[in-house]
Amino acid sequence: MSDMKPTLPISIVALLVVAFLQVPVLVVVLTSFSETSYLTIPPQGWTLKWFAEVLSDPVYLRAIRNSLILAVSSTLLSLVLGVAAAYALFRKAIPGAEAITALLMAPLIVPSVVIGVAMLQYVTLVGLRGSFLVLIVAHVVITVPYILRSALASLSGLDVSVEEAARVLGADGFTAFRLVTLPLIKPGLVAGALFAFVTSMENVPVTIFLASARQTTLPILIFSSVEMGVNPGVAAISTLLIVATVIVLLLAERWTGFHKFV
Amino acid sequence: MTGQRSAWLLIAPLLLVLLLSFVVPLVLLLPTSFQEYQPGQGMVAGSFTWENYLRIATDGYYREVVLRTLALGLGVTVLCLLTGYPVAYLIVRGHPRWRLPLTLLVIFPLMLNLVVRSFGWIVLLTNRGVVNNLLIDLGLIERPLKLMFNMTGLLIGLTHIYLPFMVLMLVAALQNVPRDVEAAAATLGSSRTHVFWSVTLPLTAPGIIGGSILVFVLTISALVTPRMLGGPTYQVMATLIYDEYMQLLDWPSGSALSFALAASTLVIIWISSRMTKRWAGMA
Repeated sequence: MSDMKPTLPISIVALLVVAFLQVPVLVVVLTSFSETSYLTIPPQGWTLKWFAEVLSDPVYLRAIRNSLILAVSSTLLSLVLGVAAAYALFRKAIPGAEAITALLMAPLIVPSVVIGVAMLQYVTLVGLRGSFLVLIVAHVVITVPYILRSALASLSGLDVSVEEAARVLGADGFTAFRLVTLPLIKPGLVAGALFAFVTSMENVPVTIFLASARQTTLPILIFSSVEMGVNPGVAAISTLLIVATVIVLLLAERWTGFHKFV
Repeated sequence: MTGQRSAWLLIAPLLLVLLLSFVVPLVLLLPTSFQEYQPGQGMVAGSFTWENYLRIATDGYYREVVLRTLALGLGVTVLCLLTGYPVAYLIVRGHPRWRLPLTLLVIFPLMLNLVVRSFGWIVLLTNRGVVNNLLIDLGLIERPLKLMFNMTGLLIGLTHIYLPFMVLMLVAALQNVPRDVEAAAATLGSSRTHVFWSVTLPLTAPGIIGGSILVFVLTISALVTPRMLGGPTYQVMATLIYDEYMQLLDWPSGSALSFALAASTLVIIWISSRMTKRWAGMA
């Protein structure tokens, strides 16, 4: 009887590949504790000085702050705009809903670097170069497809009659949405918002063309400091990001069963 | 009906944002790509030329960068497919208890900052990096291998970056394979290997195509990893666009290259969606 279970060699290859996926992460974490000013494995001695150095460096602190402000505000804005649009598209009251959806998802297809240079020329033309608001709007453009996709998917799995029942019982449209529909699609929205947040947090190709020196974000800072050469400070800040990612991923998995939404 | 009006009110804000900060910028970039560029003076106002596009096909350097980008896309796609299939297979067909941890281990690198992942590969692949030190310590090589600033480094790094996408697409495809079709083939006397090659693999073709298109398109548009692992000398299309805008300030040439890159991704996605539709019609 062949039950098509993976054979031992297949399983071993698969586990090696999964291990390969974790290798750069482990290497970064290990090197960030090394006492040497160059990166080495195994680390020479154990120290936390690179973490202290990075966390007391005003340049890094400002970049972290910029990244967080940018990611939080663009995710929230995407969430509001995206859920409203998805709700309207879902009710299909709009002619050409399919074409509109395609347009709203287009930023996923057009290469980010192209969006970046197009926006650079545009903001130079209209004289808004260096505005933080421009940066937020640019991040809304690249994050909103994730919100839209998860909101549409969650809404399509919804029983329309539940909201109608609320309407019959006297709730107005917004109240019915807020008290009935919103809680039902919340897990999907949390997953979408998490994707949006991560996308904003790691974006280089759009941000690098628009951010002024004072608006530098964390990924831009790491990206450009690597061109000068690698140092344990970058490894330390990377380790902090890795730890944050692990925590967020595990929390999201507990709250929403995150892996189902990927 | 009031339904239609309120629906437009709900969707209008997002549409406006997309039009003003995505569609209009892209449309305005088009005339730039037909302008002449004079080094030191910038764009020549009112000029019109096909030169920026012609150069991509005729100039030796540009052609090399374009071909390298496409070769990279192809290489990364094949590597992701070969390494991703066993992982997806283990996730779907392996012990159910392994399923969640394995899935999370595949998603985790995907959620991790791209810059951090690329930085990890620099630590591993530089001249005095982890891989070279290990090989020298083991006595396998005497002088460090050149693993960065060339095709090897980009293939390794980008395969690592886009492998999770491929695995997730293949997992979805494998879950859709009806088990009784495989069982039927097995009952009729097919060996395990034969069932896999003649039933399982063809039935996962949509996932294979979808995953390959996704990885290919992402690879040819990638900027961060190619720049971090390839440096300023080993260019691909995205890094060349970046340099033409930020270093050379040759915007006409950079925008022509941008449209060439965007057009190739759109054409590939369009062809693949037509292919899948045709396949779905045949089945």
